[in-house]
Amino acid sequence: MASTYDAAEGGTSIREALRALRNAPIPSDEMRLSIVESAGPALELTPADATPPRLEAAASIEGDLLSVRSVGEPVAAFAAFLDGIQASQVILRGRAGAPVVHGTVAAVVRRRSDRILHVWRGAPRIARALYAPVSLIGTRELEWLRSTRMEIVDTFADCDAALARHPMELLALARTAVQRRREELEIALAESWCASEAEPLFVDGGISGAGRASQSMFAVGVVKSHRTLYATGGSLTVVTGLEAGARTTSFEIRSPRRTTVASWYLRLRDARGRDPFFGLVRVEIARESWSAERADEVSRWVLAERAPVSLPDKRWSTMAYGIRDCEEYLRALVGA
Amino acid sequence: MEDRKRKADDGSNFSTGSSVFHLPSSIVLSILGRVVATERKPNTPHEFHFWTALDSPVGIGTIVRVESAQPVNGVLPVVYGVVVEGFGYTDVETPLHEVLGYDGEPGGDAGAPTRRTEIRLYSAAVLRHVPEEPLQPVSMGTVHLASDEDVAVALRMDAYLTPGSSTGIPVGLYRSGATSSPVWLDADFLLGPEAAHLNISGVSGLATKTSAVEWLLASIFAHFPAKKGRVAAVCFNVKGPDLCFLDQPAAKLDDADRALYDRLGVPAEPFKDVEYYAPYTAKGYALNTLRSNDALAHNVKPLTWGLREVLQYAEVLLNKDDVDAKADALIDFIKERVVDQEFSDPKYLTAVHRVQSFGELERWFRDLLTGMEKQNAESWRTHHVATIRKVRNRLTNISTRCRGLVTDDGTVSDLPFGQFRDRAVYVVDVANVEADAQDLIFSRIVSTLREHLEKRDLGVEHVIVFVDELNKYAPSDGPDTYVRAMLLDIAERGRYLGLVLFAAQQFRSQVHRRVVGNSGTALFGRMDPDELATPGYATLSPATRTKLSTLEKGQLMVRHPHFSQPVFVRFPRPAVLSGREGVERFPQAVEQTLDEAVTRALRTLDRTVTLEWVKDSIALADEEEVLRARNRTIQAKPDDVKAFFRGQLKRRVRAEPVDAKPRTPLKTAPTDDPYGF
Repeated sequence: MASTYDAAEGGTSIREALRALRNAPIPSDEMRLSIVESAGPALELTPADATPPRLEAAASIEGDLLSVRSVGEPVAAFAAFLDGIQASQVILRGRAGAPVVHGTVAAVVRRRSDRILHVWRGAPRIARALYAPVSLIGTRELEWLRSTRMEIVDTFADCDAALARHPMELLALARTAVQRRREELEIALAESWCASEAEPLFVDGGISGAGRASQSMFAVGVVKSHRTLYATGGSLTVVTGLEAGARTTSFEIRSPRRTTVASWYLRLRDARGRDPFFGLVRVEIARESWSAERADEVSRWVLAERAPVSLPDKRWSTMAYGIRDCEEYLRALVGA
Repeated sequence: MEDRKRKADDGSNFSTGSSVFHLPSSIVLSILGRVVATERKPNTPHEFHFWTALDSPVGIGTIVRVESAQPVNGVLPVVYGVVVEGFGYTDVETPLHEVLGYDGEPGGDAGAPTRRTEIRLYSAAVLRHVPEEPLQPVSMGTVHLASDEDVAVALRMDAYLTPGSSTGIPVGLYRSGATSSPVWLDADFLLGPEAAHLNISGVSGLATKTSAVEWLLASIFAHFPAKKGRVAAVCFNVKGPDLCFLDQPAAKLDDADRALYDRLGVPAEPFKDVEYYAPYTAKGYALNTLRSNDALAHNVKPLTWGLREVLQYAEVLLNKDDVDAKADALIDFIKERVVDQEFSDPKYLTAVHRVQSFGELERWFRDLLTGMEKQNAESWRTHHVATIRKVRNRLTNISTRCRGLVTDDGTVSDLPFGQFRDRAVYVVDVANVEADAQDLIFSRIVSTLREHLEKRDLGVEHVIVFVDELNKYAPSDGPDTYVRAMLLDIAERGRYLGLVLFAAQQFRSQVHRRVVGNSGTALFGRMDPDELATPGYATLSPATRTKLSTLEKGQLMVRHPHFSQPVFVRFPRPAVLSGREGVERFPQAVEQTLDEAVTRALRTLDRTVTLEWVKDSIALADEEEVLRARNRTIQAKPDDVKAFFRGQLKRRVRAEPVDAKPRTPLKTAPTDDPYGF
């Protein structure tokens, strides 16, 4: 049985990778790599050093000050949903504790037809690879790894390999590399959609880094986490005090390495008596496509995705069911 | 669905979100589902699970084929199964989540733009593995709707549907989706000798039991292989007019029914050769049957027995409390030494007796007891006078209890034992007869059939005996009766003789286990839920039991030795007139006078007999004598009916007017007689 994603594209699963490594002849006793007895917990489940929450000012593009607008009744308009998942586990360790991580990333667009979601264009994007600090594991070890024909990604690619590294920092680098790979898949899918379809796509997360999709009128990014809040002073009260079905006025988000997008906060569910971020999302659309009416319209689309709820996912107050469906689909497919 | 089809037509490698194999588009389209196994719900050699699209035509009872991609011993296994359970669920973890999702408003669905992910998961019981060995758990594979050929293989019908030597008897049509396949029973396992007997269960009034038997008899008559011998049926009509019009065409048989008959190769027509038998009413004038309309009288015959016939089965009517060992010995003595022979005992009897009827037996008893009283004897040939009185009382009482069936004069009109015809149906109407008489009729006819089959002189090699209300004749509890013992004997040994029991009842659980257990084939119509809750149905899945309790008219669940799991089939309406319609179309004859009853009976033998002629013939005879003459005439079937009938009546001199003679006048006194007054 051949899988739809061949090995060259999808790569080797963690079980197959471990089997391949155990079967690969070790060239010498001086080998400085040891295979873990069993794959540990996914790195995504271990606590990470998160950047501290922060407030950031953003330039308003809809009036002078951030204020509240009612958006009207929900309207179902999204034709598809895009999301990705990742899973990474340490499968080898060098003598200095340098981890070799097996990472699986996948992304999919699920198109809605007659209220049922199907995979868009037949197949998800899946990629599996080994993520290793190449300069720390030695030439012979690297050659041995390459003999297994698995793709190897250098986690030092974007940083100075000469600096001494704490093993936990090496793990964080690996996880970041895996995440970057996932984002690449998601961006590719988003661009592909925007290039070929003329219907709105619900993207999980921001679109400012989504290449050409960030400039398309068909990509709508919905951000669920708010470690960075684009509100300061009195604007913060406006955001946290938003009522269900209302949005803030829009603002621009600029970033040196990302595309400028238009954004606003939208309250999906009544948060009275709850956390101020309950049901709060930030919507991003292409700056060029923005208008106040367009922001209202897109807000109505996002509001429509409140049902059905995404329970039992812990993020259910802000997660659209279509996004949960993407994640469940990918988890079932890649076992992540 | 359209999307799925379009993509499959494109030859793409993804037909649905979970179809992860490269397959030709034609195969992808025929795939109904995929086998799935988890640690909590593993597959076994006898059960597997599969999921389907939401709009798949799968239901409880659907037969499917699993094609595995994993070869075993170099062969790709194929597994056939029948769906026995279905599950459907969504990704909602608890009902509370759903309530939250709708904000507690059940009507809030309209706004949900996406339907929740939903699954249709089915459990199937394995019908057959190909190859049969090694017997392994069902492996992962694609699931397809069974085709005609698949159904034949799955139910192992391929073993007995060999062209030229088929022993298949169609029982109905299996339908699922576009599949519509005949289901065949194996005659060797339905009528013997490998297995035999049929048991039908179902609630009353839903066209299950009687209709199914009428249909199956027609099917047997159409398909039973000639080389297996001749076959006839004896049906006991135990209630209403159910079986009284088997030779009349159905009032309504729609195109769908005719299509079923065509598909199953059975002519949609009533039975061609049917004879009806019924005892007389207590009054003795007319036959005790709802088939009394003049237009149908030609094949209705009386069922009457005399002393000899009844004595053989006296124990059916005399229970153990009535007849102790002493009485039993006297009855045996009478059977062996008194009946049908000249018997004399000069010491006690005043005459030589030849006992051939209940009337003559009564005279024999009376003579004997009088003789004993005269001699003040307490016993006769070791039999105590009290025993003799008791046996006299019980035996002579039989003719009273079974009036209409048992004749005092010994006249016998019986089924044509020894001359049974191939593909003929003999209906014995006992619907309006007392329970005792029903038992007697049933016991004697079945026992006589058995005797003739043992001697191979019945006229046919196989006889199907149909009896309804089996829970009455062979109950699971209650006293051990002669009838039950006889039914047990047939169930256990009848197949070797060609004596096959087709029995029906509402509650199978109330029938003796050995009777139902020996039925090779079982049919189930719509069942009562309480009955389905009894242990006998524990092997059926809850879904199958639910389906059984909601079956439509014309649907059956079939168990057969070749089928490793029960299957559901549909059968056509019987092509015969139903009892209810028959009674309306052929109203019962009004109660007759003696003259009319005799006229009607004799006209079946001689159409020239008229009411006037009968009135004239019986004018001087008493009623008992007339009935006896009628019975003997019917029994003898003489060439000259009129002469024979008159010959049975006592000769009497008809009163004739005396010729008028001139009266001699009294002498008158002389007018000159001085003493005259």
